[in-house]
Amino acid sequence: MKDKIINYIKSEISNDPLQDIGPEDDLLGSGIIDSLGMMKLVLFIEKECHMKINNEDMTVENFMTVQNILNFLGKDQG
Amino acid sequence: MYTLPQIIDRSALLFPEKDAFRCLEDSISYRELKHKSDQLAHQLNHSGVQKGNRVAVFMNRCLDTAVGIFGILKSGAAYVPIDPFAPVSRSVSILKDCGVEHLVTTETQRQKIRALTKDVDGLKTIVGMTPDADVNVETIPWEQVFSQVPHLDQLPGILEQDLAFILYTSGSTGIPKGIMHTHYSGLALAKIASRLYGFTENDKVGTFAPLHFDPSTFGYFAAPLAGATAVIIPDAHLSLPPSLSALVAKEKITIWYSVPLMLINALLYGEIEKHDFSSLRWVLFAGEVFTTKHLRALMQLWPHAKFSNLYGPAEVILCTYYHLKSIPQTDEPIPIGTVWDNTEYRILLEEGTEAPAGVPGELAVRTATMMRGYWNNPELTERSLYRIKVADGYDHVYYKTGDLVKENEQGQLLFLGRSDRQIKLRGFRIELDEIEQTLLKHEGVKEAVVVVVEGENDYRKLSAAINPMRGSHIDIRELKTFCKSHLPSYAIPESIEVASDFPRTSSGKIDRKEIIKNMGTKQL
Repeated sequence: MKDKIINYIKSEISNDPLQDIGPEDDLLGSGIIDSLGMMKLVLFIEKECHMKINNEDMTVENFMTVQNILNFLGKDQG
Repeated sequence: MYTLPQIIDRSALLFPEKDAFRCLEDSISYRELKHKSDQLAHQLNHSGVQKGNRVAVFMNRCLDTAVGIFGILKSGAAYVPIDPFAPVSRSVSILKDCGVEHLVTTETQRQKIRALTKDVDGLKTIVGMTPDADVNVETIPWEQVFSQVPHLDQLPGILEQDLAFILYTSGSTGIPKGIMHTHYSGLALAKIASRLYGFTENDKVGTFAPLHFDPSTFGYFAAPLAGATAVIIPDAHLSLPPSLSALVAKEKITIWYSVPLMLINALLYGEIEKHDFSSLRWVLFAGEVFTTKHLRALMQLWPHAKFSNLYGPAEVILCTYYHLKSIPQTDEPIPIGTVWDNTEYRILLEEGTEAPAGVPGELAVRTATMMRGYWNNPELTERSLYRIKVADGYDHVYYKTGDLVKENEQGQLLFLGRSDRQIKLRGFRIELDEIEQTLLKHEGVKEAVVVVVEGENDYRKLSAAINPMRGSHIDIRELKTFCKSHLPSYAIPESIEVASDFPRTSSGKIDRKEIIKNMGTKQL
C-alpha cells in the first residue's frame, strides 16, 4: 500500500516528476500536494481500499505524511 | 509613516512583546521580528542587494515568511513571492522575467531549489539554506543571518513610491504577468482596511492567503499596522476542513479573511458545530462570488459575527466592500457594494463612454491602492488604463478591471461577471454566470462551472461541470430539466459532467481555462 500511495502521488499529483517522496515527508506543508491533489488522493485511497473516508477523518493528523495515512488505514505492512 | 517596514518598527516600539505572527506552536514578537528583519536586510545588502533589486521569497507558510518580506523591504529591494506549489518551469520563468539574483527560502524547499538553480543562471545567493552539493550558488543559512549585528544606519533610504512587491498572476495569454505595487499602495491598503474593520492590538487575523495572492497583504500589513497578531494558517489545514475549523477555534481568531471556498469547505465538511467560534467578529471574503445559499447557512451558524464582501483585482488589491446587514432571503448574488476610502469609479461602455445610471458596463477604478503597472510591460499597462484628461499633461488615471458591473437603485455596485463571460452563441446573448447561478440553485450542487467548448468545424457548445455536495447523488437528466424550468432553451448546457473537485488556481479560485482544456480531452 505504501508504494501504491507514493507512486500515485508521484505520477498523478506532484507537479514536478523529480520529487522524491519518503514515508515521513510532509506532503501538505512543503508544496507536494495542494487541495485538489488532496481530493484526488482521498478518492484514490477510497477506491483502492474499498472504503469510504468520513469527513471528520480528513485531518492533518491522518494525512500529513504517507506514514500517517498508513497508520490511519491501519494497514501498514511496511 | 510612509513605508511598509515602518509598520513593524512602530509596532515593535508600541507592543514589543506581543505576538506579531503565529503559526501553529511557533510565534514571533514584534521586537524579534524587527530585529530579525534588520539582520536579514543587513545580510542581503552585504550579499550585494541594492535598492530597486527584486528578491524572491520561496517558502511554504511559516513565520520565516514575515522575516523574509520585511527583511527584503528593509534592504531596499522588492519581494517577489514564488508559489511553492507551482511547477518548477513556471517559477523559473518568473525568476527570469524579473531578473532575480537573490532568493530567500527555508530548508523544506531544498528539492525544489535544486531544480530551480539548474535552470536559472543569474542567481547569486540563496538565503535560508545550508550548503548543498547540488546547488551551485552561494547559500547562507538562517543561523548565519541571525548572528549578524545589523548596522541600521547603513540600510538604504526608502521612499513611498519605491517598488515594494511584484505579484505574478496568470495572464490571459498564459504567460504570467507581474503586478508591481509600491510601499504607498501597500500601506494605503493597510490603512484603509484596518480602519474599515476596526483592527486593534487585540485582534487575531487569520491569514489564509498564500504570499503570491494579494489578500496576503491583510495579514502581513494591515494586521501589524494595528499591532494585532496575524495567525498564519498552514497549507495542510486549508486542504483538510476539520483541521481548519479546529485551528481557527483554538487560536480564537477574530478576523477571518479568505476566498469563499475555505468558508464553504468549513461549513460543509469542517464540523464547525463541534467548536467554539464566539471570538469571530468579522468574516471577510473576496476573490470569487460567494454562493448565497452557502453564505446564508454560514450566517445562521455564526449569528454573532459580521459578514462583509470585498472586491478588487490584484492590480488594485481591493476597492469595494459590502457589509451584510441581515441574512440574505433570496439566492440572488449579494452586491460588491461601494468603493472604499480614497477611491472613485466609473462604469464604461464598450466604446469608452460612461454608462447611464443602471446600465451595465466595465468597472474602472482610481484608487490609492493602485499598482505601479505591469513589470517590464508598458504596453500592457497602458492598455489596462483609462485616462481622463484634466489639463494638458495631467490625467486622472483609472484601472479598467475587465469586470462587468451595474449600479442598483441604492447606488450599490452589482458584480455581473467578467466582461469576457458574456458571450454570443448562435446569435443569442448568453451570460455564462447566470447559468452557473441556476445550477447552484439545485440542492445537490456544491459548485458549478459553465464554459464554451470549441469543437470541430467551428462548432461551439455550452458545457457544464458540477461538483456535487459530498454524498449526494445527482441525476443529470433531472438537473437538465431543472435548468429548463429556469433558463431559455439556448442557455441549457449541452453536456453536464460531474467532477469530484475542480482544478483551481494556486489562490483557490476555480480554474476555468484548465476545465475547458480538460473538457476538450474528456478527462475531467
